[in-house]
Parts: sequence; structure tokens; C-alpha cells
Amino acid sequence: MPGNVWTLVLLGVGAVLTTIDYIMAFFYTPLVEGAQVSEMINGATVPATRIINGIAVSSQLLYSQKIFYFHVPVAIGSFLIFFFTAYYGVRFLLTKEKRYDTRARIATEVTLMFVILTLITGDIWTRFEWGVWWVWEPRLTTYFIMTLLVIAYFVLRSSIEDEERRATYAAVFGIIAFLDAPISFMITRLIPSSVHPVVLRSGGGLTGPQLVAFLLGLFGMLMVAWVVYQVRLREELAKERIEALKAALEG
Amino acid sequence: MRQFRAILKKDIVMELRTKEMLTSMGLYAVLVLVVYEIALSQAGSSFDILRIAAGLLWLAIIFTSLLGLNRSLVHEKDQGCLDALLLAPVDRPVIFFGKAIGNLIFLSVVEVIVLPLFYFFFLAGKPLGGPLWMLPLPLIVGSIGIAGVGTLLATMSVNTTGKDLILPVLFIPVMFPLLYASVAATSAVLIGDAGYVQVFWQAVTLGAGYDAIMILAAYGLYEFIIGA
Repeated sequence: MPGNVWTLVLLGVGAVLTTIDYIMAFFYTPLVEGAQVSEMINGATVPATRIINGIAVSSQLLYSQKIFYFHVPVAIGSFLIFFFTAYYGVRFLLTKEKRYDTRARIATEVTLMFVILTLITGDIWTRFEWGVWWVWEPRLTTYFIMTLLVIAYFVLRSSIEDEERRATYAAVFGIIAFLDAPISFMITRLIPSSVHPVVLRSGGGLTGPQLVAFLLGLFGMLMVAWVVYQVRLREELAKERIEALKAALEG
Repeated sequence: MRQFRAILKKDIVMELRTKEMLTSMGLYAVLVLVVYEIALSQAGSSFDILRIAAGLLWLAIIFTSLLGLNRSLVHEKDQGCLDALLLAPVDRPVIFFGKAIGNLIFLSVVEVIVLPLFYFFFLAGKPLGGPLWMLPLPLIVGSIGIAGVGTLLATMSVNTTGKDLILPVLFIPVMFPLLYASVAATSAVLIGDAGYVQVFWQAVTLGAGYDAIMILAAYGLYEFIIGA
């Protein structure tokens, strides 16, 4: 089947791109603010520091920025895939065709995978950068809420027996959840909090090699996500065919 | 409009006859306040309750509204009223607004009772940071969102096998942005830190924006829910 070949090719390319992203992140991309692990001062090797926004930052901390090449592509990916939950939800509501419901459900499964990966990598970064395992910082909060929304989507599905009703409710909730996630990001970001100042990296932007590594990672991971989605979809379609055949045999 | 009034009137008349929802919601809210007193009993005298008062208030409101939303639609379902409404030549959006406004009214009544109680129990004698007239605004914005989105989600949850267990799972994450904005606005008034007016208006505006988007979505999607 040509479809299979394409899936394999995409999986291969996606895996290669993601791997290159890793390798580039560690061996090729320059550190932010030109940081180094150690530097020579008066002939002695000392841990390097850089002054950022008037604060001396240990270069070791700047190393944690490397997780950026994994974390940000995954985070962007999770939002893009979540879009398909809402998109297929709308398609389902308009047509009432079961195949759109199946697609929406699988898109949500892939979203859950990506959201959890985002949460874990974000948390590792938080631990290293701010020294605590959890901060209610806008991005972390948003992804936590998104995880809960995606879990709620599956809880809702599993508690409805009637097939058409399940599909309809899931589609409606998928759309609501997709609208809710960006709003929660906006609101936690825009309302100043007195307890935790929002830590944002100021300016800079990505330099050439950094951007290349980042984009490779982004496209690689999106390809992997697409493949996971396709494989799951095919599995579900096969399952549905088996069920239909079984019903035909018994009937 | 007549249809809308009929649905609203039905809910209010039923409530006036049974007084079931208001008593259970009101009592529940008072119980939540008692639990607060237990939670805060060992906090010591240096603890400034004003700092978390807005959060406590909204916690009471959100849990009480969960109870009310469930009740308001369980009635409809158990007594076959929802099916009858669907059979009647009523526009589907009218059902949504009828139920949502009904829920908003009940929630407001409970808030009117709970807010003074909350003040006397926990904040008595403490000076408010901002003027009193600012306080109802986030309450109104928050309650509209709770009633609007809550009506949609409660209509879904009463038709599941989990019933009232499902509603919080759906409701709280979806409500998160609005709750965050409401707590921020209420806190701004209660505490009155420097620049609180700006934070207040920002939070109220964002909350109102959430209301507009989500209620529009809920209004558009209600037809599918109620038809399934």
C-alpha cells in the first residue's frame, strides 16, 4: 500500500530530523548570551558567569536553555494537534459522520501525549532554572489546565454509552476546550500576579544555527506526530471493520 | 420572548414551591464557610486573611454553583421536562438562555446571602482596599460566565452515566481562566495594593472577554447537545 510507504518515509524523516535537532542542540548551537562553561580569569579557570539584565547568571543555568530545542517544538506541536480535535469536532457536528469522530478522538490522544511531554520538559526546565519543581507560571499553568481538559475529554467519552451522543458531546467539549486553552494562557499572562513575577526571557531572538536546530526539531516532531496519528487511525479503522464483520457473521 | 419567559417562570415557580435549590445551595455555602473556619483556625493572629479572602470567596461560589447547576438539570431530566421542552415548538437557543438565566438568578440570590455572611465571618472590621461599589462587578462577570458555560456542561453531564461526578471534571478546567480573572479583580478591591484600579479593570475586561467568547460558543453548541 502506498499509504504505508509514506507513513514509513515520514516516520524515518521525522526521526532523523528530531535526532539532528538533538545533536545540533548539544554540539552545534551557540549558547544564549555567548555563555561558556568556564572561563579564564587571571590565569585561573572559574565557572563562567554572564550579566543579563543587570544580574549575574551562572553559565550553567544558561545551559538549561538547550531543552528549548525539545520543549518548544513539542509545545507548539501540542497546540497544532489540539486544533484538529476542534476541527474534526466541527466537521462531525456538521456532517454527523462517524469517521470525523474517530479522527477527533485520535487527534486528542496525540495531543495528550504531546501535552504531557511539554509538561514534563517544562517542569525539568523549571527545576533547573528556578530551583523548584513547580511554579504556577503562565505556561506551566496553561499546560496543566490543557492536560486536565484533555483528560476530561476522555472521562466524558468513557461515561456515555450511546455512540452518537458520545461523539456529539465529545465534539462539543473538544471545541470548548480548544477555545479555553489559549484564553487561559492569555489571562494568566496578562493579569499581573503579586506572588510570582512572570519570568520572561528578554529579546534576543534566535540566531541562525539556533533557528535551524529549532525548525528541524519542530518539523521532525510534527512528522512523528502525524505518523503516530496515522498509525492509530489505521488501527481504529481496522478495529471498526472487524467489529462490523463480526456483527455481519453473527447476524 | 414569550417562550423564554415561560421557561424562566417555570423554573422560578418550581423553586418557590419546593425551595429545594436555594436551601441546599445556601446551606452548602454556609457549610463551606464553616470548613474555612476550621482550615484557618490554627493560622495565628499575624495571618492576614485579606490576602486570600477573594480566593476563598470564589471557592465557595464555584462549589455552590456546581451543586446548583447539577440540580437544575437533574430536575429537567428526571421528570422528563427536557423531552417535553424538545417536543414543544420552542427554539433551541431559547431553552439555553432560559435555563442559563434561571441558573444566574439562583446563583445571584445565593451570592447575595453568602457575601455578607462571608464578610461578617472573616473580614469584619477590616478596611477594604477599594470602594465598595467595585466589588459586585467581578461577581456579576463571574456569575454570568458560570451560569452560561455551566448550563452547557451540566446539560452534558446529566446525560452521562457519571452524572454529578462528571460535571466538576469538565467544569473546573474550563472555568479556570474566568475564575483566575475574577479572583484577581476581587483581590484587587479587597486588598487595594498600589495600582489596584488598573489590575481590577484589566481583570474584569478579560473576564468579560471570556464570557463573550465562551457564551457565544455555548449558545452555538447547545443545539447539538440538546438534540443528541
